[in-house]
Order: sequence, then structure tokens, then C-alpha cells
Amino acid sequence: MSTTQMLKGIIDGCLLAIIKDTEVYGYEMAEKLGSYGFHSFSEGTIYPLLLRMQKEELVTSTLKKSTAGPRRKYYSLTPKGELELNKFIERWNNLQSNVNKVLDCESDTEYTKGDEIIE
Amino acid sequence: MSNELKLSKKSQEFLENLRVYLFSSGKRWDEIEGIVNELEIHLSEAEKNGKPIEKVIGKSPKEYMEMISNEMIIDYRTWFKYICLIIFGALFINILPDLLEGNLSYSVLEIVGYIVITITFIASVFTGFKYISKSNQSIKIQGLILFTIALLPMLLFSGLIFLNRSINTPIIYLGNTGSIIIAIIAALFIIGMSLWAKTWLLIIVVTMLTLPNYLLNLTSLEYETQLILNSIITFGGIGIYLWIMFKLEKNK
Repeated sequence: MSTTQMLKGIIDGCLLAIIKDTEVYGYEMAEKLGSYGFHSFSEGTIYPLLLRMQKEELVTSTLKKSTAGPRRKYYSLTPKGELELNKFIERWNNLQSNVNKVLDCESDTEYTKGDEIIE
Repeated sequence: MSNELKLSKKSQEFLENLRVYLFSSGKRWDEIEGIVNELEIHLSEAEKNGKPIEKVIGKSPKEYMEMISNEMIIDYRTWFKYICLIIFGALFINILPDLLEGNLSYSVLEIVGYIVITITFIASVFTGFKYISKSNQSIKIQGLILFTIALLPMLLFSGLIFLNRSINTPIIYLGNTGSIIIAIIAALFIIGMSLWAKTWLLIIVVTMLTLPNYLLNLTSLEYETQLILNSIITFGGIGIYLWIMFKLEKNK
């Protein structure tokens, strides 16, 4: 399975988390994701996700003037979006600890050796 | 737009294709503009930072367009409205010259044929646009596809005229009152549509198609001269109007 496939559904949650604190526009979000280490996905994938999250009323957007050119679309979280973010965090923590448990117990030997095999 | 963004040709082409693709997929106009503007800003900032277009839209523009399209709702109501406008608009433009020559009479085959051809034409335009914007064809092939689409209704109409001569279907004849009622409806429709779309285009086209013909008929010129003058005035007039509009639009 490629990273892109694994990322599906996870990027949604990360976007919600990025939007939570400050209003951000598309390019900023992509940059932030990049700076956190998500390099493999194409930046444009955030827009279909944002469209869907807007349809589901998780985020709202406003157009704001910018000095650099046309008006940018800034996104912010709705109360429903905040709830969804909390659910995502819960789901993620659960998933993360489960996966870690599986990997720790099941592939114990390979996992420790893994450090040497996979750089 | 007052603040034009600098964009590479590749990005511009992609945005144009996306706009046409979403439009012919029946998405809402304001939503299309929204997402296209957003991507325009994104692409220009990405280019400023030296990122290639593939970093933004991925390796397949086609797949990316579909991804966006899937998240947007289809606006059936507006599309129904547009299609009705095209069918009736073209119908009334066709009827007006007949009206000036006298009362209306059409065979059932003509009426049914007209509706079928118009629907076929609209469907072919949308499928054609969608195909062109999604697939990366050369300009020649794109031109060929558009040419075929433009030729299609002409061929079908010729076929209809031929068929109408060889097959007899009942003729619907509208008397004086009927013709006048249709004329009033057509005039109201054309005026209403022009007000709604805020354009003189329809009124100019209709006038140019009917008035020269009508006035020339009143003169004592030879029939051939009339025909030639008629087409020169009609197409010249429409051409001049479009040229003026183009100039005005450019100077805005």
C-alpha cells in the first residue's frame, strides 16, 4: 500500500486541526502540511477535501483582500467541525495505539532488526 | 479582474480546461469560478516558489478534474432553464421569418424533428466540450471535433427537409389569430430573454435575420440581387455587432 492510500482520511483530520486555531487559505494549508513532512501528496488534493468539508458544514469560508493579488478564500472551523476534529483525534489515538501494539507484539523480532534493514 | 496573476501557459491551460469541464458537467457557475480562482492563486504561489504544476494537481490533470467534479453538485435547475432557453430561442428565431411571409404551417415531422435535432445538438456540444477539456488532444483534432459538432445540426436539418418531402405527416396550420398569438409570444420571449441576460445580441440577430429580407422584398430589385444583399447585410450586421462588443469588452 502506498503512502497516498494510507493518507486518505487522515489528511481531512490534519486539515481540520490546521484550520482550528487560525483562519488559513489553501496555499498556506498545503505549505503547512508540507512543513510537517507530508511531501508525497499533490497539494491540490486539499481542494476536493475542502469542498466536501464545506458541504458537510465542517468549515466555512470568507473571501479576504490580499496585497499580492485577487481575494483569497480563508477557511475557519464551524462548531460541527470542532466536534469532528475531536472525534478524529480520538479515532487517531485509538488507531495509533492499536497499530503500535500490533507491531510491537507481532513483528517483535523483525521490528527491532528493522532499524538496521530499513534505514 | 484588476489584479492579474502571473501564470505559466501550462497552468492557464489547465484552469481553462477545468472551467470548461466543470461547466459542461453541469456545475454551478459561481462554484466553478470559486474553485478556479482558488486554484489560480494556489498555482501562481506555487510557481513563484518554483514548484512544478504536477506538485499541485498531480500527474494526471484528468483525474484531478474528476476529483473536483465529484465533490460539486450538479445544478439541474439552471441547466433545465438554459436548455429551454436555447430550444425556444432558436425556435422563435426560426419562426419569425416565416411569420413575416404569412401564416404558419408546419408538418408534425418538422416539429418533432426540430426538437430532436436541437436536443441532439445540445447533447453533442456538452459531450464534445467535456471530452476536449479532459483529453489532451492536438489543436487540429480539437478543431475537427468542434467542426463536426457544428456541422451536425446542418446535416440533420438537411435530412429533415428531405424526409419531410418524401413522407407525409399531418400538417398543423395556424390561422391568422394563431400566427399572431405565436408572434406575440415569440416577441415577448425574445425581449424577456434579452432583459434577463442583459444583452442586445438576440434582438440584433433576430432583426438582422428578418428585417433586411422583409425590406428587400418591398423593393423592385431582382431576386438574385435581393438574396445576395440580404445575406451580406445579415452576416455583415451580426459581424459588426460582435466586433463592436468585442472591442468594448477588451477596453473595459
